[in-house]
Amino acid sequence: MAEEFEPKIVAFLCKWCSSAGSDLAGVSRMEYPPNVVPITVMCSGSISPLYILSAFNKGADGVLVSGCHPGDCHYIKGNLYARRRIALVKELLEFIGFEPKRFQMSWVSAAEGSKYTQIIKDFVSQLKPLGPQTELRRNL
Amino acid sequence: MVNLEELKENAKELLKQEKVKYIIGYKRGTNGLMPVPAFIKKPEDVENLIWDPLCIYNLTRFLVDEKRKKAKQKNPDERPVGLIVKGCDSRAVNVLLQEKFINREDIYIIGISCENTGVVDEKKLVKKLKGKKVKKIEFGKKNGFIVSTEDGQVEVPSSEILAERCQECIAHFPVVYDVLLGEKPKRKPDNPFKSLEKMESLSREERWTFWKEQLDKCIRCYACRSTCPMCYCDECVVDTINFAVTADTTAEEKAQKIKWVEKSPVLSENFVYHFIRAIHLAGRCIDCGECERVCPLDIPLRFLNKKLEKEAKELFGYDVGFDPDRPSLVSCFKEEDPEDFIR
Repeated sequence: MAEEFEPKIVAFLCKWCSSAGSDLAGVSRMEYPPNVVPITVMCSGSISPLYILSAFNKGADGVLVSGCHPGDCHYIKGNLYARRRIALVKELLEFIGFEPKRFQMSWVSAAEGSKYTQIIKDFVSQLKPLGPQTELRRNL
Repeated sequence: MVNLEELKENAKELLKQEKVKYIIGYKRGTNGLMPVPAFIKKPEDVENLIWDPLCIYNLTRFLVDEKRKKAKQKNPDERPVGLIVKGCDSRAVNVLLQEKFINREDIYIIGISCENTGVVDEKKLVKKLKGKKVKKIEFGKKNGFIVSTEDGQVEVPSSEILAERCQECIAHFPVVYDVLLGEKPKRKPDNPFKSLEKMESLSREERWTFWKEQLDKCIRCYACRSTCPMCYCDECVVDTINFAVTADTTAEEKAQKIKWVEKSPVLSENFVYHFIRAIHLAGRCIDCGECERVCPLDIPLRFLNKKLEKEAKELFGYDVGFDPDRPSLVSCFKEEDPEDFIR
């Protein structure tokens, strides 16, 4: 029997909330799928659309962008800028016909380890039936 | 109606009084009827200036070049540059002002109203006339153009040869100017995003097939980037021409230079290029349609920018290029911005 497809997820987590949230999930020994590659950035507002695209380009099956809840940003308003920018990226990805389920954004605070594990679990189960992402993968 | 004599008179006065360095406008080209950009430096040369429905180019791009040129000069001429703008071009000027790329006092804007029509689409015109040679094309009295060919004059309704962007235009007259020629018409299109409707009604798979086919054609000539008045970054993410390799640049430094996009014109890389260009133009593109016009492979690039213009309007209530004092789209936010897509 062929092995089940395991999606690869790139998660851009902000240092102050989401990354701490994922850390909490870890130290609390909560279980979640090992498909995710976390990349800690200083703020969700620092995530350029190019990072997201580049992740897909280099073979990610799904991309997650996660930041602090509105009002909790360490830099006061970085996540609100991110919200606007990511909304545009999402709309444009959908417009050109890219599978919208492959790209997600979430707010995860430092105390929400369980929310983080739930998001990853749901994301992985969403991506499994879609199969590998080939649309944007670098193909020279 | 815009009076050409008035335009010439204005330009002549400006040059005579030495108020401006030079005037950027349109003149008749040597190849057929299509105009070319004109740089008028002497008062006697203003006779070359023209204004007709074929003046489709956005001359704002030259402000970017002018700024670069000026930065290199030791004793630059501080007088402003005269620039002839249509409604859409004036919004491009506004965006450059908004981003503080240029100063208001460095430009003298001669605004031209498109009034009841707009500019023609050259491809549509050629198709309409079935190869007949155009001798002259003028704005009609009402909603149309008067085209003179070898067989005499015909009046063509604007719906047939008007450029698609002009049909969706929301500013038929300049929104920023020092002198305005023509009148300010009060008309709004029924739906400024009409051309998107067809695309949006397709299913996701169909849209993907469409864009795959289109972007696969791209040869990465970067004509779209070169002609865009908003693409003025000193270093573009797609090429590293400004990465200074000196005698002490180590191999490691060279290797570690981030390469976001490969230069090869293959689908996946074209995709990243066009996508990132569209995102960079979100809330900045004023839909002058130049990228699509210069594309040698006829990729409908306008759609990508138009889509983001639509989203900016619908999601964030943002109109591009009307108020230079407002913060730009992605450098501001509202508390009530939509977040239903966020978990």
